[in-house]
Amino acid sequence: MSHKWGLVVDLDRCTGCEACVVACHAENNIPTVGKDQAAIGRTMQWIRVERTWEGDFPNPKVRFQPVLCQQCDAAPCEAVCPTYASYHTEEGLNGQAYNRCIGTRFCANACPYTVRSFNFYNPQWQKPLNLQLNPDVSVRSVGIMEKCTFCVQRIKSAEIQAEAEKRDLKDGEFTTACAQSCASKALVFGDLNDPHSEVSRLASSSRATKLLGELGTKPNVTYLERGAWQDANNG
Amino acid sequence: MGWQKWLLFIVAGSSVWVLAEVVSRAQAAGPTASSQYVTSGVFTPAHATAASAFKDFLDLHPEHPVQPIAFTHTVHLAKRMQCTTCHVGVNRGPDAQIPNVTFCMGCHMVIDTNNPEIKKIAAYQARREDIPWARVYNYSPSAHVRFNHAPHIRAGVVCSTCHGDMTKQTTAERKVNLNMGFCVQCHKQKQVSVDCATCHY
Amino acid sequence: MERRNFIKISALTGVAATLDACRAPDKQLIRFIPEDNLIPGIAVWKPSLCTLCSAGCGLQVRVMQGDAEVVRHGKQGVIKMGLAKKLEGSPQNPVNAGKLCARGQAGLQVLYHPDRITKPIKRSGARGAGQFQVISWDDAVKELTSHLTALQASKSANVLAFLGRPLRGQRRELIEKFLKAFGAPPAVWYEPFDEAVLRQANFLSFGHAMLPTLDLARADYVISFGADFLGAWNSPVAQSIGYGEMRRGRPGRRGKFVQIEPRMSQTGANADEWIACKPGTEGVLALGIAHVILSQKLAPQSAGTPAASRAGSQIAGWSAGLPEFTPEAVEEQTGVSSAVMMRLAHEMTLSGSAAAVVGGAPLAQTNGLFNALAVNALESLVDAGRDEGPILGFTPEPPLSNAGEPAAPAQASFAGLNSFAQSLLDGKAGAPQMLMLYEANPIFTAPPATKIREAIAKIPTIVSFGSFIDETSAQADLILPDNAPLESWVDSVPESGSFQSVISLAPPAVSPLHETRPMTDLLLGVAQQLGGDLARVLPFTTFDAMLKAALLPLRAQSGSVTATTDDDFWQSVQTQGGWWSAPAAAGLKSAARKPAATPADKQAPTALTAPEFAGSAADFPFYFQPYVTPSFGDGSTANLPWMQELPDVLTTAMWSSWVEIHPRTGEKLGIQQGDLVEIASQAGSLRVPAVLSPGIAPDLLAMPVGQGHENFGRFASGHGANPLSILAPVVEHTTGSLAWAATRVKLARVGGPEQAKLVLFAGRMSGFPHEEEPR
Repeated sequence: MSHKWGLVVDLDRCTGCEACVVACHAENNIPTVGKDQAAIGRTMQWIRVERTWEGDFPNPKVRFQPVLCQQCDAAPCEAVCPTYASYHTEEGLNGQAYNRCIGTRFCANACPYTVRSFNFYNPQWQKPLNLQLNPDVSVRSVGIMEKCTFCVQRIKSAEIQAEAEKRDLKDGEFTTACAQSCASKALVFGDLNDPHSEVSRLASSSRATKLLGELGTKPNVTYLERGAWQDANNG
Repeated sequence: MGWQKWLLFIVAGSSVWVLAEVVSRAQAAGPTASSQYVTSGVFTPAHATAASAFKDFLDLHPEHPVQPIAFTHTVHLAKRMQCTTCHVGVNRGPDAQIPNVTFCMGCHMVIDTNNPEIKKIAAYQARREDIPWARVYNYSPSAHVRFNHAPHIRAGVVCSTCHGDMTKQTTAERKVNLNMGFCVQCHKQKQVSVDCATCHY
Repeated sequence: MERRNFIKISALTGVAATLDACRAPDKQLIRFIPEDNLIPGIAVWKPSLCTLCSAGCGLQVRVMQGDAEVVRHGKQGVIKMGLAKKLEGSPQNPVNAGKLCARGQAGLQVLYHPDRITKPIKRSGARGAGQFQVISWDDAVKELTSHLTALQASKSANVLAFLGRPLRGQRRELIEKFLKAFGAPPAVWYEPFDEAVLRQANFLSFGHAMLPTLDLARADYVISFGADFLGAWNSPVAQSIGYGEMRRGRPGRRGKFVQIEPRMSQTGANADEWIACKPGTEGVLALGIAHVILSQKLAPQSAGTPAASRAGSQIAGWSAGLPEFTPEAVEEQTGVSSAVMMRLAHEMTLSGSAAAVVGGAPLAQTNGLFNALAVNALESLVDAGRDEGPILGFTPEPPLSNAGEPAAPAQASFAGLNSFAQSLLDGKAGAPQMLMLYEANPIFTAPPATKIREAIAKIPTIVSFGSFIDETSAQADLILPDNAPLESWVDSVPESGSFQSVISLAPPAVSPLHETRPMTDLLLGVAQQLGGDLARVLPFTTFDAMLKAALLPLRAQSGSVTATTDDDFWQSVQTQGGWWSAPAAAGLKSAARKPAATPADKQAPTALTAPEFAGSAADFPFYFQPYVTPSFGDGSTANLPWMQELPDVLTTAMWSSWVEIHPRTGEKLGIQQGDLVEIASQAGSLRVPAVLSPGIAPDLLAMPVGQGHENFGRFASGHGANPLSILAPVVEHTTGSLAWAATRVKLARVGGPEQAKLVLFAGRMSGFPHEEEPR
């Protein structure tokens, strides 16, 4: 059975704690760029927590929304890449073949979610911080575009393990780094092709929406809208 | 007259490069150890020198690296040792262990102890040092390849497919050019995925 | 000929000679024999424990073999060793159940921090000038013991002082036993945001001098007075797990959550309803709500039980129905409308299970204890305890001989620090002559009015066991760097976060990278060397022996480990990452509250006291609230690059400090987003960039704690300003705890964005209907 990886973000559970952001940095060898580069907008994050203010004191409202690569089925980034570095993988992910990337940054311009990070310089780790680098993930160099891979190294490793044991992957057997850290279980990762997986169940919720779904990008990330107290308790 | 233009181009290019090399060395040799009790230095995927970048680009690498010990695969394999005896982990995960001095001395404490090469190994151990084996096969970091031995072995690919016939080698030689064409050809033959993300992530 | 081949050939012919000449001089470092027996490429998961806050979450460390540059046998070289690659929460640990917060994730950067002190060093220049020379461990230990022997010989053991961050577990036990046997006074445990007020209040209201544990997963209604329970307060991971379940864990039942605070915290941002009240009037508001419940008889039956009425009896006028706290009177004091109060009272009592929680700024007022007692009284009125007991309960202490719940709340750590500083400044006989410093940085975290910098400067000998040079350890004469937590035997007894009693404990996850030594083993070694009482009380050569001896009695208890022999038991404790009691049976949680039967109840009920502030409203028109962020805590994790580059979730600011100002206030004073402003109090002034935020009362300024380090390594030094440096030394009246929210300030624009250099996270979606920049 082929897999179709998906993620559900329950905005009613998300607390904006940003554990996912740091977990992602640790898992995926994402560099820090320092104050000067950050000041000109070159921070690298594969997942970020957006916040939206509405209203004013004394009744301001804030919405937190983790935004990561939506792994679109009709991805604007793939169509514009002149070297096919951004391409659709067999399992439906928006792949990024670093070797092919020549740094045109067309994909970043095309992405309506602005989830792509570009290596303007070679990343640096002050020794011995580099000892933490995950050997299962490439260290990208200057001129390469990068973005959330749905922790493809974890997917591959789980698939290889399942194959070795001659069995199918089980739902919840592995998850992405962000979902694993998420204390309030706002992030749930899994196989959308498995009708019994938790992610399939949640993705069919009545609260489910797609981010900028009107653009026709067909994201594989589903957001569950926040509810009001009264809604839930009135049925 | 075309070749003269090219020669000029090459000579000019190489002099710029030599200059760049000298300058960058000078910078690297500058004061880095500002303190004796905290760590200094930076890790970066950038090539340390222009030469190494150049070699990487052209995929230049020694075909038969000089090893600190004149190890003979021939002898060990003739004694019916398995590859996995020393290269532990190769059938379980991505990497193969390169045996360390303790491992070698496990047998050579008693076997062939008068051999000068074995004495060299014993000397390493006495100095509490490991054998500084030179890497034979490796992917350049800029290849962004995540190779995993175990699934290949489970799929019945024999070691010699990629590493040559080790029974005929003393220290390991790079008999097979492991470029992407080589990988893809086999993947196609065996009808396994040639998706980029199979290996590159 | 192909183009690639052409380039290859021409390059080879043209520059072959140069190539060889320029071959990278591969650093010919020696290779050492690997110390770990790991298979390359295969990850092993090892238990450990997060020490970056006091919650005591269990960890799983992903360890893989890799090459590291190390020094062994006095030589520089490379070794294949187990390296920590990723931290995850330990799935078995009852506190964090497999989850981990942002700060916890960054524990890896503590281990591999480039500023870690790699070997023992001794001061070589003037004190505080930052000049140290490397010395050998033999010399370092000799120096430490000779100082201690000299103190013993001169019969002045009482002049040894120990200053540390509050710990729970055997490390604390070790330090306390050492000091006692040596003849020194008890350690000064200092943290700026100590919870002495809350512990005192919980002791009076519920009979437990502890932080509360919240069973949010069962809650239908939570009202929190300033408690940032999803951010940095108490046990955030445990609370976030419960919060997720409260919201969406029970189909058809979604708990409501109301946050009362004048500055919207990350927690407040998640609330269904966010209500600002005037700083320091949280207690009054709680009693206003209680008044409505009492007068309209809304409370559930169980509110009349002895355990429940204990909290009420602490409040003057409770039994009479709080006649002073009519909604109208409370509205006038708090600024919260009486209609809201009445609605909250009804909602709360109509909900299945409700809870009221207090934490943070309301306790850091001069009337903090009153605020806490008032909220606790409301809590016991509404948290009726349906089937499984109240939402707010307490973690049972593990049945260890040397643990156990404190019979009475400990002294506020600020009071302890103050008297420590005072004894030095007075220069009386018996003032500390030697200081041992461990994981505390009071020069950064204590208000300058304590004069702690000047006081510490008077101590002839300062020995630090810290891993980093920070503002306080920079004053040290001798630094004996501790192993990183992931390289040490670690243990902790979480004070809250679970209804099982928990001891988190783990062996080192990785071998030490540097030439550091565990502080615990060092103290034990010194104790053996000094002999006498010390050697008798601490008869261990290594800390793991002490841990084992302390935990073995638990084999007889029913808990997470069943073993037939001591060695099996000890092995299982190590693999599991600790010991915890069997899950609490239903009904046990409610029993955790003690009814009114102890002498403490005889204390006179607390009456309303109004908050007092340092500085008059005329000269200093703004309230000032420093707040703890999840990334920096008290500032001790400000040196981690991941934390510096993590955008603050509400303002998106990073690599800097900022002050949050309401846009209307900004408009009045001509301050725009990103301008440089000066904030001045009676105690001092500082300059920071302004962030205009709609989530703050117009008469309040708020500033994150943690930045403004002057001497804390390459990633933390020189960013932002430290709000604690302008706090007046106001204390909570009853407990003497630092009232860090009780300083008033004034505000003025002093420069534009180019001087302020505010760094905001730039990434956001262009197509997303986000707000206008507040102007």
